[in-house]
Order: sequence, then C-alpha cells, then structure tokens
Amino acid sequence: MRKNRSLLYHVIIFILAQLAWLSLLGLWIYWYVYNYLVFKKVGNQISPQLSYDTTNVVPFVVGLVLLVGLSLITTWIFRNLNVQLRLNKLYDNFIGNITHELKSPLSSIQLYLETLKSRDVPPEKQKEFIDFMIKDGNRLQRLINSILEISALEQKKLAHNYQVYDAEPLLKQLFIEMAEQFRLPQDTITIDGKADCKIVADKLALKIIFDNLLDNALKYSLNSLKINVKLNCNEKIFTIEFSDNGIGIPQLERKKIFNKFYRIYRRDIPNVKGTGLGLYWVREIVRNHGGKISVASEGEKKGTTFTIELPVYQASKKRFVNKLLTKAKSNKQITLSDE
Amino acid sequence: MNDSETGASRILLVEDEETLAVGLEYNLSEEGYTVSWAKDGKEALKFFDHEIFDLIILDIMLPYINGFEIAEKVRERDPQIPILMLTARTTKDDRVKGLETGADDYITKPFHLEELLLRVKRMLKRKKWYRKVSTEMPVVEFGKNKIDFEKLKCSCSTGEIRITPREAMLLKYLIENKGKIISRKELLENVWHMNPDIETRTVDIFIARLRKYFEEDPSNPVYIKSVRGVGYIFDDLALT
Repeated sequence: MRKNRSLLYHVIIFILAQLAWLSLLGLWIYWYVYNYLVFKKVGNQISPQLSYDTTNVVPFVVGLVLLVGLSLITTWIFRNLNVQLRLNKLYDNFIGNITHELKSPLSSIQLYLETLKSRDVPPEKQKEFIDFMIKDGNRLQRLINSILEISALEQKKLAHNYQVYDAEPLLKQLFIEMAEQFRLPQDTITIDGKADCKIVADKLALKIIFDNLLDNALKYSLNSLKINVKLNCNEKIFTIEFSDNGIGIPQLERKKIFNKFYRIYRRDIPNVKGTGLGLYWVREIVRNHGGKISVASEGEKKGTTFTIELPVYQASKKRFVNKLLTKAKSNKQITLSDE
Repeated sequence: MNDSETGASRILLVEDEETLAVGLEYNLSEEGYTVSWAKDGKEALKFFDHEIFDLIILDIMLPYINGFEIAEKVRERDPQIPILMLTARTTKDDRVKGLETGADDYITKPFHLEELLLRVKRMLKRKKWYRKVSTEMPVVEFGKNKIDFEKLKCSCSTGEIRITPREAMLLKYLIENKGKIISRKELLENVWHMNPDIETRTVDIFIARLRKYFEEDPSNPVYIKSVRGVGYIFDDLALT
C-alpha cells in the first residue's frame, strides 16, 4: 500500500513538473513575443541604431532548446525512477521469498535436532528424521549455490568447463540422471527425435538448466507429471523442446518469466515457493552457451514447452569455439576432448 | 462429543513443507494430541468442513489459499477456535495482518519446539477455560448491554455488534474478576499468555475498544474503570 502511494506521489510530481515546464515554455514564448513587439514598436524611437529588420531568433531558439532539454531530462529521470521502483519491488519479493526458502529448511533441521535431543525417538524414526535433515541441508546448499553461481554468472566469473559433446547421448544421459535424482517413475520422461550433431557445452550447466525446468514442471503440475523431450539438429542449430503437462503459462506472463526475481502469483498455482531466480538462471546459462530459449503454451492447463536452441559445434566452430578458447585462456578449464 | 472433552485435543496442522509437518505431527502426537495434516489451503478448508478441531496451526504461504484467507474463512464459521500462525514471514505488517485476520498468536520460523508446544498447550487451556465459562455464563447483561459469549454477539446502545474472541476473553476475564483491580501484566498473562511480542499498550487498546462498545461515554467509563498506574477494574455493581 505504501509502495503504491509512493508511486502515486512520483506520478503527481512528474505531472506537476510537466505542467511547470509547459508554463515556463508558455511564459518564455510570451516574454519573447511581447518584447519583440515592444522593441519593434518603440525601438527606433529609443535608439535608432537598433535595427529590427530581421528577427533575431537565436535567443528564442536557445531558450526553447533549454526548455525542451529540461523536459527530456525530467522524463528521463522519471523513467529511470520507475525502473528503479519496479526493481525495488521485485527485490523485495525476492527477499521475502528467499527468507522463506532459507527459514523453512532451517526450521525443520532445528525441529528435528531439538526433537532428538528432548525425546526418546525410536531408531526407525531417528533414521527418518536424519534423512529429512539431510534433505533440508541439501536444499539450503542448492539455494546458496544458486545465488552465488548466478552472481558469478552475471559477473562472467563462472569457470565453465566447456567440452565438445555428441548432443544426443549427452542429453539422454542427463535425463536418465535427472529421473534418478528426482525419483521419477520410469515413464515420466520420454525422448523423441534424433540429434546427430556435436555441441560445445558445460555439462554441469546443462544439468542446472534441466533441473530447473523439471523442478518447475513438478511444481506446476496438477496431475501425474509427463515430460516429453524432442531433439532435433539442423546444420546450425541443435534444438531441445522440453514439454510438460502442467498448468501452462498465460500469454502475458511468457516474456516476463525469464526476468530476474519474477514470479507468477495466481490462485490456481499449486505451489507458491521459489525465489524467482530459476528461469533467469536458465536463460543466462543458455546465453552463455551462445544459444537462446523461448517458451510456448497452448493455454491454461495445456502444458508448457520450453525450446532451447544451441549452436552446432561443426557450424559455429570458428566463431563460437574461438570465443570459448578466449574464456579458456583466462580460466584454464576448457578442454576440447575431440581435438 | 468432541475429543477435547475426553482429553485428546484435535489439532489441524496446515503446513505445506513436508519435512517440517512430519516433525511437528510427531511432536504434537507425542504430547497426546490428535493431529490432522493439511498440505495446502484447499485441503485445510476441506478438513475444517468435515471435522471438529480444538486448535489450528497455520502456515501463511500455502498453495491455493493462503493462511490469511484461511484464518478469515475459519473465523466466519467458528469465532472461538484458537489459531496459531506459524510462518517464516516476520515483518510487523504480516504479524498485524495475521492477528487482524483472526489468528490468536503468531510464531515465526525458525522456532523452538518447547516454545511452540507451550503456546499450543496454553491456547488449548484457554479454550477450555473459555468454553467452561461460556457454559456457566453464556449471556451477561450490564446497563444497556447484553453479551452472548457463545455466539460473540452483543447488543449495546450502538446496536447489534460482533466482538472478536480476544475482546470476548478480555471482557469475560474482567467480569469474572469483577470488583478486583487487575493489572495489565495479569491480563497479558491470562488473556494474551504473556506473549513477549505484545506490548502493554495492546491491553489499553483493547480496553479502549470495549469502552467504545459498552460505555455510554467512553471518556468517563462506569463499567470498565482505570486504576491509575495499576490496571483496570470492572465495577461489580454494574452487573444486573
């Protein structure tokens, strides 16, 4: 409420500034025209040396330019202020979400430790509680890592371990590992298509991409989850289509979901947890690989498809590999396994 | 018959974090309570519609329906059931909103198990006390005021009003101890359970509200009088 009011104040200030500017402009024109007419009328009588045969427009134009400049600066400040306010709002959301994401596992760990300390817990329960604590510890670790890695990614300080891989086996291996890690039923993920090409990729970074996409699919699925992955290669582009049967993404939100800290708040969304960093992270990793990501959804409850396009190694060898080689020189982590 | 009358109080635990909920369920069960666990807002309301509970432990950030909305809906149907909000949200605005929407107490994550169990115990004790007193004294009249403690409805000079459970408890406590001077500390202990987050000023605010409802001239009260520097007294001659 306070923030809305603060925005309203800024809008009012902006309107007042524009009104002040328009008044100033009007006054300036009025002053110039009035003086011009007065001088034209009585100038010769006061000082015959003054000549008004031609209109001296320089001061007039300079005045106008200054006033227009003033208006542009006001608009620019207002625009930037709005961007800042929007960022602050997103940041507040992020802080709220991250606080929740940090405190929940911490509470759980504390609860189990205090339970084990104060009660005579049977051994099978002890094991269950310890498993929960490990799970929460991992959750905290993932969260902290994601924040640190996004920060490193943004500052281009992340040491990527790029290698050249056969696209299809790499992706298949990643999805098998994911299914095991998330303990998904056997038929949850199906992979279609062929991809007989090579890509330059950081395997761990690719894993982060699909972990995030799968995590979202799990969060936003009402029924049993089904994931379909389509692989395709043409001369230049390796395409991965990652489709789920979840609740879908409304048209208006599709562009925004990759923004930092952005989260969709809807009553029908079954899970409200998250930091708003996942898809931003995914997009940054894809961009670092020289690729792009887009999202499509046929509508609500009709699932979502993320399409990731990565450059094919053979086609982009010179440009892309050179770029990675430059990176490799600085972090000495690149190895081109097939060379 | 309600389970609470046979000894085992029924608690509805509304928490979407599985790891936390399992631990809480275990501890509450160990304390002798019967616990039902709802994983989201929809399930919580479904449980509430079909079963009788003595207390609700409620998270705020829940799937489908958030804790504030649940508290409001629960309060519409049952003004007396104690609600303990258990949440990671710690801002003053969240606390105020939680208490305004009908929560009786608010505890933030991470919390100490002992403290949580103590609060639960006290809330249930208070509920039993309130029920007992309500049964003994369901309707009270003083002056032009008539208070139905069961339904939390009052008819007073301003017309028909509904009071909150906390206001009812405070009034009931004052009436029960009519003629005695009651300190703010005593009120905090017995009506608010000495919640460290609640300041003494809160007592004064609630007293001011009661005076607004029931006194002809709230600035010159005849029923709920102040005893300077000590606390309050309910005039024992006022009761009819």
